[in-house]
Amino acid sequence: TLLSDREEFEQIDFLKDRHVRFFQRTLQVLPERYASLETTRLSIVFFALSGLDVLGSLDVIDKDLIIEWIYSQQVLPTDDKSNLGRCGFRGSSHIGIPYSTKGPGVLHPYDSGHVAMTYTGLCSLLILGDDLSRVNKQGCLAGLRALQLEDGSFYSVPEGSENDIRFIYCAACICFMLDDWSGMNIQKAIEYIRGSLSYDNGFGQGAGRESHGGWTYCAIASLCLMGRLEEALSPRELDRIRRWCIMRQQSGFHGRPNKPVDTCYSFWVGATLELLGVFRYTNFEKNRNFILSTQDRLVGGFAKWPDSHPDPLHAYFGLCGLSLIGEPNLRKVHPALNITQGAFQHLQQLHQTWRSGCGQQH
Amino acid sequence: SSLNVTPSSIVRRPPTLEWADLEPVPQDEGPNPVVKIAYSKKFSDVYDYFRALLKKDERSERAFALTADAIDLNAANYTVWHYRRILLQALSKDLRKEMTYITNIIEEQPKNYQVWHHRRMVVEWLNDPTEELAFIAEILSQDAKNYHAWQHRQWVIQEYKLWDNELEFVESLLEDDVRNNSAWNQRHFVISHTTGYSDPAVVDREIQYCLQQIRKAPHNESAWNYLKGILQDHGLSSQPGLLEKVLELKETHCSPYLLAFLFDCYEDALENTKNTEEQERQETLSKALEICELLAQEKDTIRKEYWQFLGRSLQSRHGRSPSEEPPAAEAESLPASGAQEAS
Repeated sequence: TLLSDREEFEQIDFLKDRHVRFFQRTLQVLPERYASLETTRLSIVFFALSGLDVLGSLDVIDKDLIIEWIYSQQVLPTDDKSNLGRCGFRGSSHIGIPYSTKGPGVLHPYDSGHVAMTYTGLCSLLILGDDLSRVNKQGCLAGLRALQLEDGSFYSVPEGSENDIRFIYCAACICFMLDDWSGMNIQKAIEYIRGSLSYDNGFGQGAGRESHGGWTYCAIASLCLMGRLEEALSPRELDRIRRWCIMRQQSGFHGRPNKPVDTCYSFWVGATLELLGVFRYTNFEKNRNFILSTQDRLVGGFAKWPDSHPDPLHAYFGLCGLSLIGEPNLRKVHPALNITQGAFQHLQQLHQTWRSGCGQQH
Repeated sequence: SSLNVTPSSIVRRPPTLEWADLEPVPQDEGPNPVVKIAYSKKFSDVYDYFRALLKKDERSERAFALTADAIDLNAANYTVWHYRRILLQALSKDLRKEMTYITNIIEEQPKNYQVWHHRRMVVEWLNDPTEELAFIAEILSQDAKNYHAWQHRQWVIQEYKLWDNELEFVESLLEDDVRNNSAWNQRHFVISHTTGYSDPAVVDREIQYCLQQIRKAPHNESAWNYLKGILQDHGLSSQPGLLEKVLELKETHCSPYLLAFLFDCYEDALENTKNTEEQERQETLSKALEICELLAQEKDTIRKEYWQFLGRSLQSRHGRSPSEEPPAAEAESLPASGAQEAS
């Protein structure tokens, strides 16, 4: 064999084909015990598609068919536009709206978008190479504005829900992708983010709450997407945040001090460290060894812990964690938007087209 | 299995008499569903009727009863919870019974966002938080770090001003597990909203408390984070006697966190005390660099690269004249957000 020992080891240990098949199966049918994912299915689609993209294996799926299904989840404005504040994307057809990929919207007392589904829906379309021309931008942005509270945080749905920093991140991604920040009050969002900075220099879900790797990612990635990182946080604060984040590495990473490590934090914390310019100072080998210890060698995918069941979320973030450390044969991921650099470049091209006035926007 | 649901609400093989007027609405997945979930007939029966009720926006007892079945099958369906809340109000349902209902569900599924949000809504409607602290304590007794439980607790305490016994509660949790980071966070939450940290007596008391906990369990990031957290904005090096105490502890209760704290003290002294003699500054710098080396080589080797980077940064900021030291590595100037900002 022409491979070095290390190359052989790397090739043997990372079971690419199993992961491809894991995501393929995810995109097909899940058993009833996954019922709790019904209203968030579009985010599961995102994990699978972006996972396949990171694996360089989008060719195994029928992109056009999936694009149609995604567009069928769009909540479009009705003829009289009375539902503009409820537009966006649904997680699935669970409400019972008849299947349709085009407008006008159908009036239904309980049909509205969900901010995380609008976010993952748009990402999924980009990953599939769609040009977003069937996205009703006006609806998405109006639907987004309707979700922001006085304190700067967002609900997930216009009917009301819990409100916190996760949905600020979703909102920032939506505005970034649609290249239109009229969807949110940036200043208020920044205030909420700053207010979520804990005494220990990580970010909680809101003011006073325990700092956590996932919310820290949402805070920093949002500020980066907004282009306001250095405006919102002083150099000293950024150094302190770097310290909080880098202390999360135990082997892999955990999300909070004195908690067990979990594969997905290799991305949440890893990507935050990358955005803050210090990921290179982490221990790649220990991180890699931990992530791979959670790989399911039979079924594919990754689990949160070793000897646990894999799921689409951990499968995706396990891959992203490996991509961050430069695992061979994995595509690079844009750390703030959480799609591959290839998908990101496609988005940049769309932006250029829109800004030069060549493309259709509505 | 269903909870608190009268048998007549459970949809038997349709159509039964009480549902005969309703046309069930199946989920319309279109020709090529993605991530389709394979539901049993029992499951889709309940939800087909749920969708029918939703479409009509029916406000009735049978609708209310059906939401319990739908929740039993999928408690994460936020639309069902929203509809149930509409019905609770439209039908003037007994909210005390609803508290019992939601208590049971949270006990079974304590990491679900929707159930905690629902409980919060009911507590607000009743304007009665009297069960909350005990209930949350019970949930925390099963998982002392449940983020939803802590969040709900903070909301209740802040909304209804229930601060009085919370510090005591925090201390009992820290007795159980001094490494419970959620409890340390709650300690900060309580004190910052009551006495605050501007009173030196409070700060002293808290410093003593930290050091006491550190002596009991030295390898505890939470205690050190708390100590640093309450002092960092007033200058770590400005707290009289603290540095000495930490240096003492270094001999018998060392940890990466202690050493990091020492480093931060030295760094603070260098950054924020401008009038010290150059000789003293260089001594402080040299102690700080020693700590970095100790961490990198021995005490926190997983972060070796980081500690060495910190040492180099400190050196380049406070070292002697440039001609004597190697030039600060230009490649290390940190791009604050990488090349990742909006193009």
